[in-house]
Amino acid sequence: MRLRVLILSFLAMAFGSVAAHAHAMLDRASPAVGSTVASAPREVSLTFSQNLEAAFSSVRVTDANGARVDQGKPQISGNTMRIGLKSLSQGTYRVRWQALSVDTHKTEGSFTFTVGGR
Amino acid sequence: MLRSSSCWRAFALALLFVALSAAEALAHCFVGARFFPATLATDDPCVADEMSLPTVQWSKTGDVPAATEWDISVELSKRITEDLGISIGDTWSNIHQPGGFTQAGFGNLETTLQYQLLKDGQHELALLLGLVVEWGGTGAIDSGLATPWSTLTPTFYFGKGFGDLPDSFGWLRAFAVTGQIGYQFPTRSFDVDSGSFIPQVLVYGASIQYSMPYLKSEIRDYQLPDFINHLIPIVEMQLSTPVANNFGNSPITIGTINPGVIWAGTYFQVGAEAVFPVNHASGTGVGFLGQLHLYLDDMFPTTIGRPLLGGSSAPPQQLKF
Repeated sequence: MRLRVLILSFLAMAFGSVAAHAHAMLDRASPAVGSTVASAPREVSLTFSQNLEAAFSSVRVTDANGARVDQGKPQISGNTMRIGLKSLSQGTYRVRWQALSVDTHKTEGSFTFTVGGR
Repeated sequence: MLRSSSCWRAFALALLFVALSAAEALAHCFVGARFFPATLATDDPCVADEMSLPTVQWSKTGDVPAATEWDISVELSKRITEDLGISIGDTWSNIHQPGGFTQAGFGNLETTLQYQLLKDGQHELALLLGLVVEWGGTGAIDSGLATPWSTLTPTFYFGKGFGDLPDSFGWLRAFAVTGQIGYQFPTRSFDVDSGSFIPQVLVYGASIQYSMPYLKSEIRDYQLPDFINHLIPIVEMQLSTPVANNFGNSPITIGTINPGVIWAGTYFQVGAEAVFPVNHASGTGVGFLGQLHLYLDDMFPTTIGRPLLGGSSAPPQQLKF
């Protein structure tokens, strides 16, 4: 009986205060992850599953030689992070991102997209 | 005995509540871009703030005729510091013999102290050391579902994602493996009641898993339905082999191979596996294993989802590549 009471007390305590925050996972990207686009995009846009801490989230884009092709600072609003791109030629580019959700869960990832080549 | 074991459990849980009430903390098993889900039959390679509530298994024993067995388990994992964690769990079993005889009750209370040796994000590699203790005399000994002696099992766990393979490997980079190997020592070498030796046992297991979330966010977004993008198909294997002090006992390796799938959401995951015994001593026919697993660090990021000591695992700081 005492065990049952303790377990129920714990569950009540636990489920009574669920907060709406979690790890920020990449939900979708433009250009899409692994995609090939016909014309050079002017920016990369990343949408996450959670809102981001703007000061502690970042993204960079590099070409096949590792040279930065992004320009300006990332623009972060809510769960979306954008960064402008220099004029891209045909080739494959890697997007690396790091995100801190508003409850300080840190996540990171990277993917490539290709310009031209169809 | 049952009364004293209930008190023991109540005391352990009360201690846990005291600990949880003072908690602060972070993450489940993220290693770089890789997320290792909580596996159902084995353990994932990270300390974490998580709870399996419940894990349910249905199977038929290897007896002739076979008995039907239900096991319902609960496990709570809590980080003490960023790299040190403890788990506490117990299993209630019901074994129904064809003749109508039924054994039911709790097994011994099990605790696991774990230390995170390594989390290498670039190579998606996690290493973990643990000491699993099954506390003798805390379960239903009279029902034959628990032992009066304890067991200690030093265990090594690992997880490796293949995302660091060259891009040319494409969709294969979404694969990952986890595994564990432990050596179980009983605190007694001989069971006077049954007149048999209590063996020392090698306990080992592994999983191979394919992460659809990883495929979508790291390799290629095929615009699949959202439900599919949360799935992690998995095959688990758990085995145990008596290796010492086994005079007069069966030397046979027993275990199961479990193909299944995990759906991983934001705050919880749900897993289901078929359970195939590796031989007749391990069971009869195909069983079932299901689990609801809660990510306490995501559900309660400012309270019980944080380590007890040492503050946040990811204090706000400027992230740099």
